[in-house]
Amino acid sequence: MTNSETGLKERQFKIVGTRPLRPDGIDKVTGRARFGADMAAPGMLVGKILRSPHAHARIRSIDATKALVLPGVKAVVTHEDFAEVGADLQDVLENVMAQDKALYDGHAVAAVAAISAGVARKALRLIEVDYEILPHVTDVEAAMAAEAPVLHDDIVTSGVEPAPKTPSNVVHRHEFGHGDVAEGLAQADVVIEHDFKTAATHQGYIEPHACVGSVGPDGQGELWCCTQGHFWVRNTCAALLGMDVSHLRVTASEIGGGFGGKTTVFIDPVALALSRKAGRPVKIVMSREEVFRASGPTSSTAMTVKIGVRRDGRITAGEAVLKFQGGAFAGSPVDLGAMTAFACYDLEHVKTVAYDVVTNRPKQAAYRAPGAPMAAFAVESVIDELASKIGMDPIELRLKNAVENGSQSSYGPKFGPVGLVETLVAAREHEHYTAPLGANQGRGIASGFWFNFGGQTCVSLNINADGSVALAVGTPDIGGSRASMGQMAAEELGIGYDKVRTIVADTASLGYNDISEGSRVTFSTGLATIQAARDAIGKLCGRAAQTWGISPDAVVWEDGYARPAGANAGEFPPLSLAEIAETAAKTGGPIAGHCEVNAAGAGVSFATHLVDAEVDPETGRAKILRYTVVQDAGKAIHPSYVEGQYQGGAVQGVGWALNEEYIYGEDGRLQNPSFLDYRIPVASDLPMIDTVIVEVPNPGHPYGVRGVGETSIVPPLAAIANAVSAAAGVRLTELPMSPPRVLRGIDEAAANGKA
Amino acid sequence: MTPGVFEYHRPKAVDEVLALLGQLGDDAKVLAGGHSLVPMMKLRLAEPAHLIDINAIDALRGIRQDGAAIIIGAATTQAEVIASDLLVAKCSILPEAAAQIADPQVRNCATVGGNCANGDPGNDDPAIMMALDASYVLRSQGGERQVAARDFYEGVYATVLADNELLTEIRIPTPAAGVGMSYQKIKRKVGDYAIAAAAVTLAMADGRCADAAIALTNVGDTALFSSAAADAIKGTSVDAAAIDAAAQAAMAAAAPAEDLRGTVAYRTAMAGQMTRRAIVQALSRATGS
Repeated sequence: MTNSETGLKERQFKIVGTRPLRPDGIDKVTGRARFGADMAAPGMLVGKILRSPHAHARIRSIDATKALVLPGVKAVVTHEDFAEVGADLQDVLENVMAQDKALYDGHAVAAVAAISAGVARKALRLIEVDYEILPHVTDVEAAMAAEAPVLHDDIVTSGVEPAPKTPSNVVHRHEFGHGDVAEGLAQADVVIEHDFKTAATHQGYIEPHACVGSVGPDGQGELWCCTQGHFWVRNTCAALLGMDVSHLRVTASEIGGGFGGKTTVFIDPVALALSRKAGRPVKIVMSREEVFRASGPTSSTAMTVKIGVRRDGRITAGEAVLKFQGGAFAGSPVDLGAMTAFACYDLEHVKTVAYDVVTNRPKQAAYRAPGAPMAAFAVESVIDELASKIGMDPIELRLKNAVENGSQSSYGPKFGPVGLVETLVAAREHEHYTAPLGANQGRGIASGFWFNFGGQTCVSLNINADGSVALAVGTPDIGGSRASMGQMAAEELGIGYDKVRTIVADTASLGYNDISEGSRVTFSTGLATIQAARDAIGKLCGRAAQTWGISPDAVVWEDGYARPAGANAGEFPPLSLAEIAETAAKTGGPIAGHCEVNAAGAGVSFATHLVDAEVDPETGRAKILRYTVVQDAGKAIHPSYVEGQYQGGAVQGVGWALNEEYIYGEDGRLQNPSFLDYRIPVASDLPMIDTVIVEVPNPGHPYGVRGVGETSIVPPLAAIANAVSAAAGVRLTELPMSPPRVLRGIDEAAANGKA
Repeated sequence: MTPGVFEYHRPKAVDEVLALLGQLGDDAKVLAGGHSLVPMMKLRLAEPAHLIDINAIDALRGIRQDGAAIIIGAATTQAEVIASDLLVAKCSILPEAAAQIADPQVRNCATVGGNCANGDPGNDDPAIMMALDASYVLRSQGGERQVAARDFYEGVYATVLADNELLTEIRIPTPAAGVGMSYQKIKRKVGDYAIAAAAVTLAMADGRCADAAIALTNVGDTALFSSAAADAIKGTSVDAAAIDAAAQAAMAAAAPAEDLRGTVAYRTAMAGQMTRRAIVQALSRATGS
């Protein structure tokens, strides 16, 4: 698709599309960068959190008397030290600090601030909690059973008719789709139905949650923390502590990975509550074990998918039932899984039913395209098998059904210009697709979809007297956005990339910014940056007009210079940005551009992944041999960081598909809360991840940008499962595809005479 | 995840270590690479009152030929094993196995002596030392003794090493030219401990297996030396039936626990499978085919 078809005018970029160094790179490789745990404050105390050893227990009482008399202990807090909050924040508060019940192994029940980590740890052992241990449930299907222990007396399943009267662990039933699935399936030549399961996984960010909170005697608070969204953290902490929003200033540290897992709060309100009580700053740093037990992993799932296809490759109907447990509170991303499941396909008959289920596990948090990878695993596995059953190339089958501009989506809206077909064609034309395979090797392909998000954004761009530019954004940089924002500002202003310095401003310095999530930053902060630069250009032109004594309308901005707009405007030598900035004090004072926007028009995006895997038929061990990611970026501002997002999604997908798994024991306790036992892929586990950037511009962004951070993790589970299944000669429907599980599949298939 | 309080000693000579061990006994632990001990201390599974760091003692490092034996100093790192021309030429199983231990950062610190002396059934070197019929030189103030690797291990983290003794070096009878050897390890992913692994050495003469040794990693409380598995191939042409018998013997010897890496049945089957593969590779190396 060309730019003219999407309504974007062709533009020759000078800086956008190049690969300059990221401004935070040197700090990060030399250790100068300050992460969450790197902050210190005068008089700072150490905060530690007491966590439930039980999966489900009523808290009869908490007695901190002995802890409080231990020398060096300055404060103990429990749920009683937090404010009453509205229904929208009740679950957040209860997850931060248990109230009448501990709902999972690791749930915070009390916290202490002391003069040292040693004293704080000792104090934790002196806090006496009287638990009444209750039966627990950690598996999603077991939690849905009639006899399951019920976590919340006030959850009664909504979205079903007639409305039930008794409490249940099923929070809500969602349904999406259109047409009549039974009618569609009746038209099919081949129908395949499978059950699928996926394990809960963790985002695996290397930096544990860390913060320093300080509340003064005047009630003014400050918080330093690693987060993807410090404005949201400010609003939430202020509510949980009963403070005015303006009385709390939050500064985002450098962030050592988030992937969605740092879009909520765990320790920040606790540090502030301890500080308010102790009258001194309090630092809390989670251990890795705490991160695993008590931050926000993904849902584990059970899914059933049924798809019918005609011999000519046309899909006649698709149906999915998805069950996701989201931990101890409502809000698993099962609805997003249901909405994305069939989003790649233009279907006449489609239906997805989704159940949001609570269990005695930590409350799930976002993890890159929440809900979508699991749903894509199930749907794309069945699509793969259908292609093989009707003897059609799997890309051809997808192309015959792929959504295009104007297609009706399975979840509601009609699509605008989208790039699924382009990614499929690029994958088919890639040398990888026809490269020879050896014995016990298989090739898998899968496509995936993610919505992408826009949202509230506020940017400030200050022109300095020396012609350099300070750009302040409010979205923490989780993927190189300071570089891409600098590029867009420089492009628009017509100055060099090295003249722009981008910083992430604190919450007192800018208007509200939504969290860095939903692949929104390059799109919406980028859009706001371009608008702020244009705002500044208007003012620069005005100053030039003033200098020349002509009308501002008679000045244009070209390549970093104000010029008279044609001969009629008068003959004046062009003025550079630096020249105008130098005299700003005499022409009206500082020059700045601003933009406040609730950005709409984030373009959806699609990807297609190709994977080669080898399976050892005697041990069941699967190895990834080759991997190619093809994804639509709309417009790649900084191609290296776009490629990095593609590679990162694929790598996290490899871990999810082959190794990663939350394992709970019979006792409801997490068995593997360390990187020793919860294995994420490292460089030596992986081949080079090749990338192909497809650019189908998004008409909602001045340069055509689409978000890229999440779509890349949607296809891998399915693509790898298709490759491993092809190599093993048996369809694998359960993740992770660990060696014992793959070998069992091979052995069972052999026993059934299929191999 | 913070160790308890301990006294730190960094002696410059072996005699100083022995004096400290003589005086402190089981209040002290020897620190070499620290990649087993320090994590245990951080989990408070080990809380030694004294740590004796032997990294300043050059005499405990290095790999050398000494007559009929290859000597590896206890504080020699796995990275040094991988880089050793002597081992690559004469005892390739060690560098091959070292390359499968953990990751490069760990291999730059972790030592052969620590791997052998720690008594962790997940460590790779004990089975290899058993297969090579290596001896450990154990010194105390009272003198020196040599214990065969095959006799050294008693249980999980339990060995015959006395509280006042230091493992100073490992003596490996130099394998004769033509001895084939192989270490086969299955792990979930790079850096993980073995689901199961097998070390095999064998020598062929006139088309028959003249000698063989087989030992297993991480499928029991200690590394397991299986005479029965070796006996199954000794005297045979190491044909498919003999290899199968050896694998069956290895499986019979294996007694793994069910853990995150797999069920008892799976890990036992993998002990057999690794034995099979190690024999096949050792044989092809012994016969140059």
